Amino acid sequence: MVIPETPGSKIVAPLGDASAAAGHTGGLSARMSEGRTAGAALPEGSPNGDARTAFWLMAPALALYAVFTLLPIAATFWLSFNSSAGFNTSASFVGVGNYAKAAQDPIVWKSLVHTFLWLAYHVVMAGGLGLLLALAVSTLRITQVFFRTAFFLPHLVSLAVVGVIWANIYDPFFGLLNTALTRVGLGAFTQGWLSDPALVLFSVNVASSWQGFGLYMLLFIAGLQNIDHSLYDAAEVDGANAFQKLIYVTLPGLREVTTFVVSLAMINGLKGFATVFVMTNGGPFYQSELITTYIYRLAFQSQDHGLAAVLCILLSLLAIAITIVFNRWRARLSQ
Amino acid sequence: MSVRNREWPVALALTPVLILILAPFVWLLISSFKTEAEIGRADPFTWPADLMWRNYLDAWQIGGFGDLVGNSLINLIGVVLLSLITCAPAGYALAKIRFPGREWLFYAFILGLTVPVQAIVIPLYQVLFGLNLVNTLAGIVLVQVSNGIPFGIFLMRSFFIGVPDDLIEAAKIDGASHFQILTKVFLPISTPAVQALVIISALSTWNDFFLPLIVLISPEVQTLPLGLVRFASTYASDYRLVFSGTVISFLPIILLYILMQRRFTEGLTQGAIKG
Repeated sequence: MVIPETPGSKIVAPLGDASAAAGHTGGLSARMSEGRTAGAALPEGSPNGDARTAFWLMAPALALYAVFTLLPIAATFWLSFNSSAGFNTSASFVGVGNYAKAAQDPIVWKSLVHTFLWLAYHVVMAGGLGLLLALAVSTLRITQVFFRTAFFLPHLVSLAVVGVIWANIYDPFFGLLNTALTRVGLGAFTQGWLSDPALVLFSVNVASSWQGFGLYMLLFIAGLQNIDHSLYDAAEVDGANAFQKLIYVTLPGLREVTTFVVSLAMINGLKGFATVFVMTNGGPFYQSELITTYIYRLAFQSQDHGLAAVLCILLSLLAIAITIVFNRWRARLSQ
Repeated sequence: MSVRNREWPVALALTPVLILILAPFVWLLISSFKTEAEIGRADPFTWPADLMWRNYLDAWQIGGFGDLVGNSLINLIGVVLLSLITCAPAGYALAKIRFPGREWLFYAFILGLTVPVQAIVIPLYQVLFGLNLVNTLAGIVLVQVSNGIPFGIFLMRSFFIGVPDDLIEAAKIDGASHFQILTKVFLPISTPAVQALVIISALSTWNDFFLPLIVLISPEVQTLPLGLVRFASTYASDYRLVFSGTVISFLPIILLYILMQRRFTEGLTQGAIKG
């Protein structure tokens, strides 16, 4: 499904991607065979004619997809075994040389650790806030649309624009955050939010999570609406209080949408790029470098395509692993 | 009924959270009307003495926002239309026609759904370069459509699977071809899926940063997020311009959303769940 970074959807495509990935692979083979039997019931034209029609219906999508996605996937794989010093130079085969080089590059390891931290921050902050607000907002009747709409507003802002906005919020001199802290008597908490190496990754992630939580909130609200209301009535008859209803009815009822939101948040997080690029460009001292920003740096600034390709493979493997793990989890839940 | 009793306490408790979350918007909006000196005084809570509409005029003229908005619109309309034209027929074929290689294709699309676009960016750039599409709006449209194709196909396919085969049968007896069945029978009853595809692809295209950063090099072809980032780094010390430019870049989509929030919400959740 939908949009990660959102730069994925691409966000946003980005927006749709992960869910589709998360939602579909599960029942995949079952559905395929189902489709086949259903197909047999269709009035048969000539089977060849049907195949030809199918080809023409698929052709536009397939052509674009083959040229701009499948070919680049294959070429990335090839590139990771070759060395190339720029877009205009020819490549030479170096075997696993790039992989060895990557293993010895401390920034590769840093960016990998930062990426995992980044995912954890995003799932907890954006996913957690999305869940809490969904629980609160869904109890509202008269004002629900107002709160839902207002809480979703940050998600409409492009992550690059979010970067510009939050860089100003964090500005040490006139920024909203430090000034507000001083004004309410918490001047001791003012910081160089983006210049402190220990804090920078977290600070940038707050900006990304501010943008991201709205979509997760909407998905949780949709999940809450799907919980069978008679379960609440039954719990009430048994004398359950509000907290017990939350623990024994609501949260179990949200299990499937939770898996989905967590996988979506992780895929979105993995594609995180724009906020870091705009706010810190990976600094200070590579302390906010992610795999994606390092790929950009290597490919478009230092022109080390072989090493960048290894990171591309690493990024793809992480995304595929997340998708597989969450589909398994989902499949087990729906049994 | 206990629910109704909770309405106002919960709404009241949520209000400070709302203020906190929307504070960046309010702060930017207020600051964008201030003079340089007022911003420099570093107190975000004071009201501007005069509303400096001039800031917007300056940002619009200096930042070339007219071009940026125009490019973003061309980009968005191109991607949305081309996505519909490519994904609806392909989704129909995958849902309703038996043909050899169908399973194989399905896995190929799953791969595209999973692999982030940043992971294929080097060859992608080379392909665009080879086709002479670097620095063109056509280039960015084609790449973004391709990027969204797996999701779009899954969305349309899973919606079409739910349409009864009887409809196809009946149309075939009337002599309709698959193409006619798609355009005259399936698409008219697929508003929720089409709406989801339009909203999701529009939103992700409008907000995309990574692909435009790679593809669109000169200012006159750039889209809004890219242009704003360039503008903000060029005029980093002129806060009036940065603030009003930022407001220009998010205000239109927010107003559109407030007008159409039902459709947005439906489209996004539908896309997520069906996709």
